[in-house]
Amino acid sequence: MISTKNVSKFYGSTQVLKDISFEIVQGEIVGFLGPNGAGKTTLMRILTTYLQPTSGKVIIADCDISQNSFAARQNLGYLPENLPLYLDMTVKDYLKFAGKLKNIPYRPLTTRIDQVLEECALHDVKNMPIANLSKGYKQRVGIAQAIIHNPKVLILDEPTNGLDPQQILQVRKLIKGLEHKRTVILSTHILSEIEQIAQRVLIINKGKIVADDSLNNLLKGSQNLEDIFLNLTNDNPVNIA
Amino acid sequence: MKNTLSIALKELSGYFKSPKAYIVLMIAISVFNVFFFMIIEQNREASLRDIFKLMEFIFVFIIPILTMEIFAEEKRSGTIEFLLTSPVSSAAIVLGKYLGSLGFVSILIAITAVYYGILEYFGSPDRLAILTGYIGIYLEGAFFVAIGILTSSWTKNQIIAAITSYMIIFSLYFSITFVRQLEEGGAAVEIIKYLSVWNHSERFFTGLLDISSLVYFFTGIGLCLFLTRINIENRS
Repeated sequence: MISTKNVSKFYGSTQVLKDISFEIVQGEIVGFLGPNGAGKTTLMRILTTYLQPTSGKVIIADCDISQNSFAARQNLGYLPENLPLYLDMTVKDYLKFAGKLKNIPYRPLTTRIDQVLEECALHDVKNMPIANLSKGYKQRVGIAQAIIHNPKVLILDEPTNGLDPQQILQVRKLIKGLEHKRTVILSTHILSEIEQIAQRVLIINKGKIVADDSLNNLLKGSQNLEDIFLNLTNDNPVNIA
Repeated sequence: MKNTLSIALKELSGYFKSPKAYIVLMIAISVFNVFFFMIIEQNREASLRDIFKLMEFIFVFIIPILTMEIFAEEKRSGTIEFLLTSPVSSAAIVLGKYLGSLGFVSILIAITAVYYGILEYFGSPDRLAILTGYIGIYLEGAFFVAIGILTSSWTKNQIIAAITSYMIIFSLYFSITFVRQLEEGGAAVEIIKYLSVWNHSERFFTGLLDISSLVYFFTGIGLCLFLTRINIENRS
């Protein structure tokens, strides 16, 4: 469903991604873990075609993004780290606009908006301007725009960032509910979140993949995810008893 | 094409969600009204020529305010990521946003049709000159909007976008005054004269439909939109 081959990215002369290769099959939920500045957001931006890789190949839903970027984008839902919301629009108008851009025909769009409002629990606020919503609602509007066209692949950059515990639970439940239907990649630096949602973990440090394994395998040793993470991303490995 | 239209409509309706659109319309129309009656009273001539000159002068000031946010705000707030990762081509995005802003300028121009009605009722104006005048003012507005969109795609900061487009539009508008006193200046002066918007709009206002002026405006608009598209695509 998603595959990358030797993806590298330079900003000027600084290399932020080094030879990233991985494959993700349909229905998997994969967590990207990494310290701040590890290159998670850059990698997600490349996967979503927002940025071009300096070298390497990315295939999303059988489409090479450098050759068939449109088809790839049609199969892709993306929630960037900074919520891409037009604050002066109402929730419904915004979703309608998002649906039109994602080529949903007019009639199905009306029913689809209702479904998404239901799925993301946004019915109460559908006629409110987005500017007046709380952070948790805004986050769910962001997720709603990402899933409105039923994409095969969903990429979520720090979907629970800045939410209160109650809202984090709601958003996690929402993401968990998307399982099986879609391939999901999410990035976070909250380790417990990965343990609760993801089946597989990719740990990125300084632009390189330092671990790629199923959660069960990673946790097989007596270590917990926090120790593994600290060990892999620290230049001076801590001694784990 | 459908996407272009959706973006254009969103852009146009966006103007009316903030007080900016109403303030701009109110100021522009008040100024037009006051001057329309002053000009008519003084000239005693059934012509809109001076009104067109006034309109272009007002456009120099208001169009950068209308266009400054178009891409700068999308970049600042991050919504540009949403647009560019949607299955929409960058050409459609640029064109949609351009048509949206142009729509607003069209409304502004359309309102001044009232003046033509008044002239037609009380006198017998030169219809052809008014038609070419409207073509001229419309092309000029369309050119300024394209410049505004281009500068807006250069920065995240709306104020910088506005100031840059002021600088470009001002120099295009006033450049002819720098060389007006020179009797002979060779190629440089001719180029400056050709680049001056004033030089071209003036011909339309006096009733001339000049091919070289049409080429000037269409090339200018096309170039600005093309450069905007390149800007939007090149993000590293």
